[in-house]
Amino acid sequence: MNDSPLAREFWEHGKSASCPIYDMHGHMGPFHSIYFPRGEPTDMIRTMDECGVRLLVFSHHLALFAASIGNAASIEAVRRYPDRLRAYCVINPNYPQQVEADVASFEQHRDVYLGFKFLSDYHGIALTDPRCRPAWEYADRHGLLVLAHTWGGSALDGPAVVRQIAERYGNAPFLLGHSCHGDWDAAIQLAHDFPNIYLELTAVFDDRGVLEKFVAAGCSERLLFGTDLPWFDPHHAIGALLSADIGDEDRRNVCYRNAERLLTGRLHT
Amino acid sequence: MEHASLSFFDCNAFFGLSSGRSLAPIPTAEALLAEMDRGGVARALVWHIAQHDASPQVGNRLLAEAIGPYPRLTGCWTVLPNQAREFPPPPELFRQMAAARVQALRVFPNAHRFLLNRVSLGDLLAAMVERRVPLFLSVRRGCDWQQIYALLAEFPSLVCVVCDHGPWGADRQFRPLLERYGNVYVDTSQYLLDGGIEAFVADYGPARLLFGSGFPESYFGTLILTLRHSQISADAKSAIAGRNLARLLAEAEL
Repeated sequence: MNDSPLAREFWEHGKSASCPIYDMHGHMGPFHSIYFPRGEPTDMIRTMDECGVRLLVFSHHLALFAASIGNAASIEAVRRYPDRLRAYCVINPNYPQQVEADVASFEQHRDVYLGFKFLSDYHGIALTDPRCRPAWEYADRHGLLVLAHTWGGSALDGPAVVRQIAERYGNAPFLLGHSCHGDWDAAIQLAHDFPNIYLELTAVFDDRGVLEKFVAAGCSERLLFGTDLPWFDPHHAIGALLSADIGDEDRRNVCYRNAERLLTGRLHT
Repeated sequence: MEHASLSFFDCNAFFGLSSGRSLAPIPTAEALLAEMDRGGVARALVWHIAQHDASPQVGNRLLAEAIGPYPRLTGCWTVLPNQAREFPPPPELFRQMAAARVQALRVFPNAHRFLLNRVSLGDLLAAMVERRVPLFLSVRRGCDWQQIYALLAEFPSLVCVVCDHGPWGADRQFRPLLERYGNVYVDTSQYLLDGGIEAFVADYGPARLLFGSGFPESYFGTLILTLRHSQISADAKSAIAGRNLARLLAEAEL
C-alpha cells in the first residue's frame, strides 16, 4: 500500500491536517436522475468535514436545471455557510435576458460567486455561442473564474470549442470541468498552449492512468480537485490520488496549492 | 471512528492486454499481484480481458494457466449459450472449473451476441441455481438493466452479482432487485455516490454489498479509502471488504 507520510495520514484519518482540500466542482440539491443520500447543504458539510474539504465551489442543481428558480438556492446556501461554500453563477444561454440580469447583478453577490458556470452539453448551446458572450466578456474583464463542463468529442464544449474560447479570453481562469473527458491529449495540449487553462478532475479520478499522464505531461500545477459533490464521495477521489503513481508534491498541488493560488484575492466576504 | 483491520477480497478485477486502447494495462497475473500488494488487496476473483475481447474459451484457458500458481487469485470464467456445443455440459463445466480454481461465471450477452434468457441458457442457469454458482453481470460491459430484470424474473434464485453499474448512481435500478430477489448482490466498482454505502447498509444491511475495484480501469484505493471511512460498523466494513465474497464462493457447489 502507498505509505508516503501523506498517504498514511489519509488512510488512517480520512483527511490530512497539512493537506486541506479545495473542491472546485460541486453541485447541491435534488436532480431528477439520481438519488442523493447527502444532497442538502448540512449533509454536504458533514461530508466535507469527514474528508478534510475546506471549501466547496458549487452550482446548485436548481440553478442548472430549473430556469424558473435560477441561482437563488446557491446564494442562500453560501450565505448560510460562508466559511465553507462559494458558488458559480450559472449561465443558461437559453434565456438571454436572464443572462443579462445575472451578469448585471454579479457585483451584488461578490460574497457568493467566484465566477460563472457553463453546462453546454446539457443546455444545448455551445460555449462560443453569442448568447454566452456577455458572461465571457464580464469574466474576462474582471478576471473571474469560469468553470465549464467539457467533454471529448462534444461539438458544444469539446477541445476545439474550448480552444476558440481560450484564444478569445485570456484573462479569466478557465477551468475545464472533467478535463475534456476522454480526450486527454487534447486537454494536455490546451493546458500547454494557454496559461489560464486548468484541468479540473471530476470524473477523471475513476479512470486509472489519467492522473499519471497529466503529471508526466507537466500539468501538475494546473490540476484542480473536483467531485461533483453530492454525486461522488471525496474519499473516492482522494483514494485515486493516493493510488496514482505520482508524488506527494503533486497530490498537494491537486488538493490545495493550485486552488489557493487561484483563490488569492478572489474570496470576498 | 473505529477502523477494523480490513482484509480486502476484490470481486471484480481483470488482467491481460485488451484489443483496444488502454491507458494503464496490467498484462499478467504477476503484474496484478504486484499491484494488489501495492494497493493493499489480499485476494481477488479475477478474469482475463481476452474472455470478453477475443474468445471466452481462449480467455478462460489463459486465465486458468495464469492463476494456477497463485492461490490469492480465484478465477471467474465466461460462458456462452451451448446449442452449438461450444462448451461442455454443466456437470463437466463445473468439474473443469473446480480443477482450475474457478468459482464463478460471467456472461457478456451484447458483445457475444446472444440473449440472456431461459431459451438460450436455460440448462446452465438452472444448474447454476441448483449449485449456487455466482453469475457476474457487468453493466459497464453492456449488460443492461432490462436484461438483468428479465433474467431474474426467470431465475429468481440465481446468485447474481451486478457489477460496474456506473458512476451516475444506480440505486433506483438495483434497489428493486435487492428487495425482490434474495440472492442478488451489488459490487462497489463505480459506486461513487456520496453516502451511498451508508445508505445501502442502513436499508439492506452489509451482506449484499461486495468490494469490487474495477481494476485496472479504476484504482484499488478509491473504494478502499471510501469503505475504511464509511460511517458504518467495523463488522459491516469487514463483511463488505471480503467476508461476503468469501461466503458466496464457499457456498458454490462445483
